[in-house]
Amino acid sequence: MTQELSPVHLDYMQEQRTRFVSPTFLLQIALAASLLAGPLLVPSFQVMDVMAKIMIFTVVAASYDLILGYTGSLSLAHGMFFGMGAYALGLVCYHSGSPHWYHLILAAGIAIFLGIVFSLLISLFSLRVKAIFFAMVTLAIAEYAHILGIQWSELTLGEDGISFELPWIFHSDWSAGRFLLSEIDDRLMIYYLIFLSSLLLFMGLVRFVRSPLGRVLKSIRSNENRAVALGFKTFQYKTVAVVFGSTLSSIAGVLFAMWLRYVNPDSVLGLGLMVNVLLMVLIGGLGTLYGGIIGVAFIIVSENWLPGALKAAAGIFPPSEIITRLADRWHLYFGVLFILVIIFFPRGVVGTFRQVIARRKAEVLRKRRTEVRY
Amino acid sequence: MSKGVLTLKPKGITADGKGWLVGIAIGFVWLSPLFWMDATTFIVLTAAGLAMGMIFFMVASGLTLIFGLMDVLNMAHGAFFAWGAYVGFSLLGMFEWLGWVETGTFLQCMTTVLVILAVAFLVGALIGAILERIIIRQVYGDHLRQILITMGASFVMVELIKIFWGLNDEVVAVPLAFRGSFDIMDVVVNRFRILAIVLGIIVFGVIQMVLKRTKLGIIVRAGVENREIVETTGYNINRIFTGVFCAGVGLAAMAGVMMAMFKQEVHPAMGDDSFFFALMVVIIGGMGSVGGSFLGSLMLGLAFNYVAFLLPKAALGVNILVMAATLLIRPTGLFGHEE
Repeated sequence: MTQELSPVHLDYMQEQRTRFVSPTFLLQIALAASLLAGPLLVPSFQVMDVMAKIMIFTVVAASYDLILGYTGSLSLAHGMFFGMGAYALGLVCYHSGSPHWYHLILAAGIAIFLGIVFSLLISLFSLRVKAIFFAMVTLAIAEYAHILGIQWSELTLGEDGISFELPWIFHSDWSAGRFLLSEIDDRLMIYYLIFLSSLLLFMGLVRFVRSPLGRVLKSIRSNENRAVALGFKTFQYKTVAVVFGSTLSSIAGVLFAMWLRYVNPDSVLGLGLMVNVLLMVLIGGLGTLYGGIIGVAFIIVSENWLPGALKAAAGIFPPSEIITRLADRWHLYFGVLFILVIIFFPRGVVGTFRQVIARRKAEVLRKRRTEVRY
Repeated sequence: MSKGVLTLKPKGITADGKGWLVGIAIGFVWLSPLFWMDATTFIVLTAAGLAMGMIFFMVASGLTLIFGLMDVLNMAHGAFFAWGAYVGFSLLGMFEWLGWVETGTFLQCMTTVLVILAVAFLVGALIGAILERIIIRQVYGDHLRQILITMGASFVMVELIKIFWGLNDEVVAVPLAFRGSFDIMDVVVNRFRILAIVLGIIVFGVIQMVLKRTKLGIIVRAGVENREIVETTGYNINRIFTGVFCAGVGLAAMAGVMMAMFKQEVHPAMGDDSFFFALMVVIIGGMGSVGGSFLGSLMLGLAFNYVAFLLPKAALGVNILVMAATLLIRPTGLFGHEE
């Protein structure tokens, strides 16, 4: 080779060469295909519901990973942006009476606008100081948004929430015969819209992380002082990451509201949602993006089937008050799990997995070097 | 004496020697609601605001000390608050059985309240010790994991409340002597509020005494300033961490008892709101400063009550507004240290 290539360029070329044959790529294709064909082959609403939620929360978890895992700023307002998006759709459709398709675009536009404006404000306000300060300010604002959602009942209809109709082919009386094992109806259409949008959003995130900007973010994560010393204005990069991630979260909120056709403060603005997203990202592994999918799948699946399993387990014991109460409070086990994951899996599933692979590669490399030497 | 080294200079608003100007400005802002209301209402609202502020202070002082010394943002603080409230609720039931709640002399009611506060403090401190030793110790030195792990602990604690006491709101009986109100020249002041204010001032005094006048306090303050140096002088900082954590969450539990009687109800999620307020108090006051959180909680309590009277809809927004205004003027809070 005539010219010495930079490590970044070499890395990039390596990526290009193995792009379509790597096991990760095949795994991605398999996952996308199963999500695509799933509702056609398994005509069960619960399965479809779980899959749709997995897709939506994958976007939320991955965009959160961008903020927390790639820049190390602990934003606790991610759930608030999700809620903003959900409420944007809910309010637009509710107030328009009989919504048209352009109301959907309007709602998405409002969600994006709110996401950008608020995340920009919050970042400019609090990202400059210590990381922990950012966490506190975002927590205060998110809690405030939650309280506002409950109390400002003229706008949000309070704790009762808003249930609304969707326009166009997503309207609940729309149906167009059968295909394979399932009926082509509004649910299926919404499912595919969610599939398409979350696929695009996730791919956008992956692209964002691989861009030069993403590399700067990675460098901020590993050593912020050094990134500053290299001349990067880390504050600006962090702001961009926070704004981008938060906006994606609010778009995911629109999708979530679309799927449920109902929003209420506790389900989309509460701290419980935020904790769930954190848990998803942590189980998957910080700074891995794909790890989010595993975390999300784990949580959504256990959310759907754990209560039932607990009830069944409680049936084994003699019936008593304390046993039924223990079986009812499945969030308790979530909390315990949360603590255990943080203590024992500081890097999450994918993070730990990657660490093991990296260690093995280093081992091989070292062996090869020693062979050459002797 | 080493006093000169260890006395923390207030790096607050008065550092530039224009304290009197700031004082006048604060006085003006404080009295400004008088433009829209008569003096009687103002006094009543002030009493309510001070009582509320004192309860917030009890939550926030622990939070700020734990943060200042241990660098741990204790997200489970609200859960301790709720635990205190529920312990108080149960104990009130027991004292009711003695006949010291619905009937009883002033002395008996006072004993009731004091015993309940003490027990709540102990229960809070005990749970705090377990939490600190078993869980938080695993993640010292890692901000992110500390926040997350205390969040998980808070989750578990609130769920345990739901298991032990059930999901519903419960009505809390206030001991007879603290029901109703004093009526002094048309100014009606709720008796319980006076109790809360007195208690808050006592707590503030005790904390300041301990911090300023005892050896333990010197160690704690030095630990807030620089942990390593305290360690090099041979003190076991881990034990001090546990002690401060226990005291801090014990205070939160006491505040929970007071709030339960103040609002006359308990519910499992009551810790969330108070934690949210305490967090803003700590941000306003500056992290690690007890005096700052005292001022901050009074500011929030008073502002909340005045605005709730004048513009009921805006009452929730005023806290955020106060916080934003403070941060614009001093990004590290009133008494926060510069980075």
